[in-house]
Formats: sequence, structure tokens, C-alpha cells
Amino acid sequence: MKKFFNDIADALDMLAGIENALNINDFSPNELKVFYTIISNEAKSGSQCNITDVVESSGMSRSTVYKTLRKLSVEGIIALDQSQDDKREYLITFS
Amino acid sequence: MKIFFTLSLTSFAFSSALWIIWSFFVVQIEGNPSWLGSLFYLPHAARVLCVVYFGWKAIPALFLAELWGPHFSLLDIESLINVIPGLLSVLSVPLALQTLHWFGFPLGNTTESPLNKRNYKHIALITMISAIYNSLLVNLVLTKFSISSSEIGIDQIVRFFVGDMLGTAIVLVILVMSLRPILNSQKIN
Repeated sequence: MKKFFNDIADALDMLAGIENALNINDFSPNELKVFYTIISNEAKSGSQCNITDVVESSGMSRSTVYKTLRKLSVEGIIALDQSQDDKREYLITFS
Repeated sequence: MKIFFTLSLTSFAFSSALWIIWSFFVVQIEGNPSWLGSLFYLPHAARVLCVVYFGWKAIPALFLAELWGPHFSLLDIESLINVIPGLLSVLSVPLALQTLHWFGFPLGNTTESPLNKRNYKHIALITMISAIYNSLLVNLVLTKFSISSSEIGIDQIVRFFVGDMLGTAIVLVILVMSLRPILNSQKIN
């Protein structure tokens, strides 16, 4: 069965190549990882997520997370609002 | 045996699904003109993808789908007419792979492989060569055994070739669009 799943994985790799060539992939892997981390954090905690939460949950460096969040913010996918409790922290909201 | 059964079932289901979708569109455009359906021949994608990824083991299931597909019945006498053209259509893909092998491009799944099954451009090349074989061989048989009711000319050979290429391209794009969540989750992991 392992070979069957490997064959399917090869086919999916080929389809991912087409997706890249057609430029229909909206998110880079980093953007996607950050995006999913925000969603899963908010789903688990039931409250708004901040940058530190994303850094801790994703395992990515703070600078990478920050750059990625800035990009998502520029694209209008999320908004970064300064926290009222801690002025050094930013809260993430979906636009 | 288990893997043979699994990939045979997958190949038959995938090929049959494409036959059903293709037949639906052919019925929708019935008669205007009658050959329009062969300009986007979706089932060729199943032949290419299943033979490339599953190997020769997929051939019996694909052949069965070729017999079942046109009339959705295996016991139909008209299915028997399709035995040789159907077999040739399925064998066009292994023939294309063998041709490339002879020219020094054996199939593999690494970036070092001369013919990489993970590279869509290589899949396009296999599709093109198999479409050439399919259009030539099937039309040769149809002419030789006078199976076709209409006269076969170069236009039909070109139409078969274009139809196989276009049909495969459509299926690949639809697969990319519908499998995007899986493709994206693969990028994360």
C-alpha cells in the first residue's frame, strides 16, 4: 500500500507544479503556515491571537512571522492592531 | 494482490468518472457538430495519469473502462467493436513511455530522472506522444476494419490528437483547482 500512496504523492507533486505555473497559489508556504497557525490558535483559545502566540505555535522566527504578517496585512487579509494591555504587542484580526 | 486490486479500482473509477463527465457534455452539444466532443477528449487523461503513476498494472482496469465507457455497458454488442481501438488507446501511453525509454529517457520520480513523473512538463510530453500514437493507430484500425461509419481523413487524425491533448489539459486544471486544499497542506508539511 505504501507504493500506492507514494504514487499518489508523486501525482500531487506534479499537480502542485501546475498550480505554481498557473500562479493560482495565493499563499507562500510561510504565509500559509502563519495563516493556519492564527486560525488554529484562535479556534483553541477562543480569543484574539497576538504575534507572540504565532511565533510560539509555529516554531518560526519572530522576524519571519513579523514579515509574513506585514505582507498579509498589506494584502488586506489581516489587520494588526496595537494591544491596549501591552503596547509592545499586536493583536491579529481578520479583515 | 491487494495493491493490484486497489490501483485497478482507482483506475477504473477515475476513467469511468471521466467517461461519464465527457458523455454528459457530448449529449449537451449533440450534433452541433457531431465531432465536437472529440475535441476535448477527457478519458485520455485517465490513461496517461494511471499508466504513468501506477504502471502496467493499471492497463486491465483502463481497458475495462474503455469497453464500458462509450455505452456504459460491458454486455453491449457495440462494446465488442471497441475492443481493438480501446486496447490501442490504452496501450498508446505505455508505447509513448517505451519510445522515450528507447531514446534514453526512462521514467523516474527524482529530479535526476531524465523523465520525471513529478514534472508536469514531462507529463505533457508523454501526453503528446501518446496522443500521436492514439490518433494514428486508432484511425488506422478504424480504416482497416471499416469500423467507422464516416470517412476518415487527416482532419480526424488531427482532431483526435488535439482532443487528447486538450482533454488531458482540462482534466489536469480541474484536478489542480479541486485538490488545492490538499496541495496547499502538502506545502506546509
